[in-house]
Amino acid sequence: MSFGTMITIFLGVALVNNLVFSGFLGICPFLGVSRKVDMAFGMGCAVTFVITVSGIVTWLIVHGVLTPIGNAIGYAEALYFLKYVAFIMVIASMVQLVEMYLKKFFPALYTAFGVFLPLITTNCAILGTCLYIDMKPETQHLLNAAIYAFGGGIGFLVAITIMAGIREHIRFSDVPKCFQGAGITLLVAAILALAFTGFTGIGK
Amino acid sequence: MTVLLAAVVLFGLVLVFAGLLGVAKEKLKVDEDPRIGEITEVLPSANCGGCGYAGCADFAKAVVEGKAECDGCPVGGAKTAEEVAKILGVEVVKTAPIRPVIHCGAKNHEKLGRVPYEGVETCTEAHIIGVTQACTYGCLGFADCVAACNFDALRMEDGLPIVDYAKCTGCGACAKACPRDIIENIPFKQERMLVVACSNKEPVKLVKQACTVGCLGCGLCQRLFDDLFEVKSNLARLDYEKYTGEEDLNPLFKKCPTEVFVYFGTPKPQRAKQLAKEAEAVAASN
Repeated sequence: MSFGTMITIFLGVALVNNLVFSGFLGICPFLGVSRKVDMAFGMGCAVTFVITVSGIVTWLIVHGVLTPIGNAIGYAEALYFLKYVAFIMVIASMVQLVEMYLKKFFPALYTAFGVFLPLITTNCAILGTCLYIDMKPETQHLLNAAIYAFGGGIGFLVAITIMAGIREHIRFSDVPKCFQGAGITLLVAAILALAFTGFTGIGK
Repeated sequence: MTVLLAAVVLFGLVLVFAGLLGVAKEKLKVDEDPRIGEITEVLPSANCGGCGYAGCADFAKAVVEGKAECDGCPVGGAKTAEEVAKILGVEVVKTAPIRPVIHCGAKNHEKLGRVPYEGVETCTEAHIIGVTQACTYGCLGFADCVAACNFDALRMEDGLPIVDYAKCTGCGACAKACPRDIIENIPFKQERMLVVACSNKEPVKLVKQACTVGCLGCGLCQRLFDDLFEVKSNLARLDYEKYTGEEDLNPLFKKCPTEVFVYFGTPKPQRAKQLAKEAEAVAASN
């Protein structure tokens, strides 16, 4: 548990094992809300916030509620099957919180998000990150888990913002007819994913 | 045993989060002006954007904040304006409803230089290609405006859109859809409004090559009724701020060399010249 480990965890999840490009998680908002950079950035920030809070809270639930109670009845993993339903509840509550907060303090951003904000509830990137945190040996410490979740959110933010930047340019490009629309978007996503494999090896 | 424990644990967690959300809801309550909700209720909820705002709720907000007028909703018209004014506690100033008119009066057989067109059958495409007919200002007749209308108030007849003023709400979608900008939204002060049914800015010779009913830009109307008409770039324009619909314009219809003046409104657009002649015939027989 050193500063070096934290940086390794952060870079590892943000770049090398990017949620979108190597985990194939959160593809729907990645493709759906990446038409404009400002919208994509806002979505990325909202996801980063929800993912960080949810990561911390789910860690607390696993290590502070489920495991001790399991230990009390003699088997530490006795209640682990509750993880999924508890995690989804945490995420949904966090999204509700973010929604209320935005409505109060950033009404413009709230209207800009529209339906996408409630959609974060079912964003697989968030549930995936919470479950990864639970699985990985290096995130058995709360601080590491928080960094892991935050890194995952930053990775999503970077991915969706890059994608939006490229798509803003594609709108004015001469795309062959057969690739127009979803086709060229998926191709760009594939090439981006290839480019991100270049980060493999960082932090070793 | 485990099942019972699971239920208890989950119930405990749910209670914690429900409490958290309940507190947050109180703390982060947005104090919205209740009038915004009330005004949104009385608006037509068409969310057409005809008022210039992003939907009815946005317009309601703008009205309450004083950025928009009570009668800013073209779809709701006078009735909605009154209700909105009642909620706000102000008097509404009576204004004429805004309705679209078409600045082209050439039916299919009156448009010259028409060629068979086999491209995509929308005005936008035909306008870019620009060779379907001689007149580069007039109606193309591929009904983009009809497709844009959310209220089923437009139909194509003999190459020209006909507005059903009973259904039209004046949202302005047709005017935005027209690639040639020949649909104008004017204040309908009377049942019938006079319209210069031409948009051609070319000189006489080219107009005559393109159309049999186009405005020649001779300036007769301006000489007869200087305050109402203005002839600019070979095209007569009627000033709708000054025009009330009650002026006696019969001498104008007799003098005008083409049939460019058309009455729009209920029941149906009609050439002013023909109407004037019929009225004269009735007067003579009496």
